[in-house]
Amino acid sequence: MVPGAGLSLAAALDFGTLPSQIVNGVLNGAIYALIALGYTMVYGVLRLINFAHGEVYMLGAYTALFVSWAYGFRPDVPPDQLPESSLATLLVMMLASMAVCATVGVLIERFAYRPMRNQARISSLITAIGVSLLLQYGGGLFLPQNPPPTMNERVNPYRQTLELTLVGAPQQLSEVVEAARREFQAAERTFEERLKSEKDQFNLSPEGQRLRDAKFEAERRLRDAESKLNSAQVTVRVGAGRLAILVASLLLMFLLRQLVLFTPTGRAMRAVSQDFDSAALMGVNVDRIVTITFVIGSALAGAGAMMTATFLGTSITPYYGVLPGVKAFVAAVLGGIGNIPGAVLGGLLMGVAETLVIWAGYSQFADAVAFVVLIVVLLFRPGGLLGSSAVEKV
Amino acid sequence: MALRVRIASILAGLAGCWLLDVLCRGMLRESEQRLVVLAGLYVTLAVSLNLINGIAGQFSIGHAAFYQIGAYTAGYLAFFYYGRLPLQGVPWLIAMLFLGMGTAALAGLVVGLPSLRLRGDYLAIVTLGFGEIIRIVVQAIDLTAPTGEQVGGALGMNVEPRIRIVGLVWLFALTCIAVTRNLCKSSHGLALLSIREDEIASAAMGVQVPKMKVAAFMIGSAFAGGAGVLLAHSESFISPSMFPMDLSFIVLTMVVLGGSGSITGAVIAALTLFYVPEYLRGLKAPDGTALTATGASLVGWIVAVVAAVVVVRWLAFRFRGTARQRAMGYLATAVGLLVVGRALGWILSSVPALQQAEYEVQKLRMVIFAGSLIVIMLVRPEGVLGRHEFSWDWLARVLRRQRAREAAG
Repeated sequence: MVPGAGLSLAAALDFGTLPSQIVNGVLNGAIYALIALGYTMVYGVLRLINFAHGEVYMLGAYTALFVSWAYGFRPDVPPDQLPESSLATLLVMMLASMAVCATVGVLIERFAYRPMRNQARISSLITAIGVSLLLQYGGGLFLPQNPPPTMNERVNPYRQTLELTLVGAPQQLSEVVEAARREFQAAERTFEERLKSEKDQFNLSPEGQRLRDAKFEAERRLRDAESKLNSAQVTVRVGAGRLAILVASLLLMFLLRQLVLFTPTGRAMRAVSQDFDSAALMGVNVDRIVTITFVIGSALAGAGAMMTATFLGTSITPYYGVLPGVKAFVAAVLGGIGNIPGAVLGGLLMGVAETLVIWAGYSQFADAVAFVVLIVVLLFRPGGLLGSSAVEKV
Repeated sequence: MALRVRIASILAGLAGCWLLDVLCRGMLRESEQRLVVLAGLYVTLAVSLNLINGIAGQFSIGHAAFYQIGAYTAGYLAFFYYGRLPLQGVPWLIAMLFLGMGTAALAGLVVGLPSLRLRGDYLAIVTLGFGEIIRIVVQAIDLTAPTGEQVGGALGMNVEPRIRIVGLVWLFALTCIAVTRNLCKSSHGLALLSIREDEIASAAMGVQVPKMKVAAFMIGSAFAGGAGVLLAHSESFISPSMFPMDLSFIVLTMVVLGGSGSITGAVIAALTLFYVPEYLRGLKAPDGTALTATGASLVGWIVAVVAAVVVVRWLAFRFRGTARQRAMGYLATAVGLLVVGRALGWILSSVPALQQAEYEVQKLRMVIFAGSLIVIMLVRPEGVLGRHEFSWDWLARVLRRQRAREAAG
């Protein structure tokens, strides 16, 4: 690390890339939002911080990896023999991840949390920590981790980068760039033709050297013009895969909203989260609702894990879920824990804040910014952004 | 009477620490002495967190932060000032101890203030966040010494000189226990307990809730900071990775497992949870190689433990019978666990796939740790000791009852 780098102001902020960064932040935030939904739903019905949620996410990433291996994207297959990937492959991977995560979530609830339901809340919290450690270290025993596997990038059929120009550059500038490009291409062509007639390619004749210098000069002019154009116009560059994440996340969140607001199950869920005991008295099958909550929350985490593993290409370890889990939990608290739109808002905010800190040059503090934002927000709104800080009744 | 008991306790504590120091120096290797020191530090951490968490009822899960603040206070000061001040050796360590406690208490004030506005889980996440912020900031900051050397940062730093005094560490732990215990017995302690039970009611009774909460935070974090100073000088090396979130969780686990609010419980749980993984780490097969367990015996034990948990839970929560019958039930379950575990392992060893899979016990130790955490919480949710405390009165009562029984029988 450069001495004092942590404290010096970043040299220059490139405001031309700011819109790109914000869009990327929103896309990162979509994943946090997906995980945060699981935290917030479980907290809503059980008043329990499900510390094992991050580990469910980790298992989802491994499931997606194993499914991709089953499709033939194994690391030992040479690149030219890899099969073609398609939307169907991705869909199968996602469904498998969601199914495995949902199963794991339900098992955890049934065997670790349900027996603790009538006990002090701190005891169930310790159980949750225990489950989380068990899955981490147990995963370390049985899952492949050395070297940490990564999803083959060919699994992702959307590898291209999308570009969107928000504010166009002045006409003159683009004409200058076009002219410079034509000049450069002409110079390059002449130089290459000359090169064919040269005897020794590494020891050019004076005429060849002149042409080569001319080519370099033209190239430099082109780069100059291009950078001028880039700073004059505002474009957003986004990986298509990230956009797919956003679309899929929004779709899942929309489905969840419809389920919670417009189905009998959703109504029962809201009732349980308002008052556990009264809901039971009114004939709601509370155990069933809790199970469904775990199914949905864990499945969303599974979908998020599959998408990050596939589109962002980070390597997968048994500790894959720790940091995203903590950050997503912070996002849930930020939005007001127990509040579903709050979790989405908190996740998106968290993603943007983090990306902006990296953009400003303080990447070593990126993991801390989540907590700083949280503490500042909680000092002013103790119930989170959208949560109501209920007055305690005596 | 009371004064005499108190003086006797203080003398016994001092003598005990001195004896421990002499024994450790005489009988243990360097590496074993280090374990005794670490055990003392864990006891301090658990008891001080118990003050915040168990006694005052403020849900804090960022205790590692105060530990780290103490350690880095000592580290930086030793780097820049050791040798330039007339303080050397043990006096230096003691001065550092007080300074570390001071800085950590200041940090405790900073964290304690939000606790005035936040409750329960919100407070928990703020303390967790504070811990992470401290760790990340320490990781990101490099100071440059006048000599041009880099200090701190992600790679850690050396703390010169190394001062490892087992007796002093345990004296500090005992001080922490004594302060917490005396606080509990005083009117301030009662105020803290009343805040834990019902904040609004205790405010109505005239308890100064904000002041007491912040005081609990400051005292608890001061002791954690002191432990950090002792760690830095005893290990002679500190790095941010020594203070992860998991450390906070493990200390919290010690508090809850021992029985939230019970000092005795915190001490016992801290010692057990510290030594069990260390014991498993040191396990060797008779021929000196690393001890391994086959998949068959693992599966057998897991099934047996799960079954035992079910039976014990039934005995503890559903069983309608005399206490004697229940105790017999526990005994039978323990015997059954051993028999069934062995038998299942033997039966399953006929499955070749399970028999061939081998796992080193060393790698299993954290899995065993996490598993036993869940099991203990399932069979005894209020912690091993509940809210009971060890006291001389209690011991005297037990002995008297024993003697009475012998006289009668």
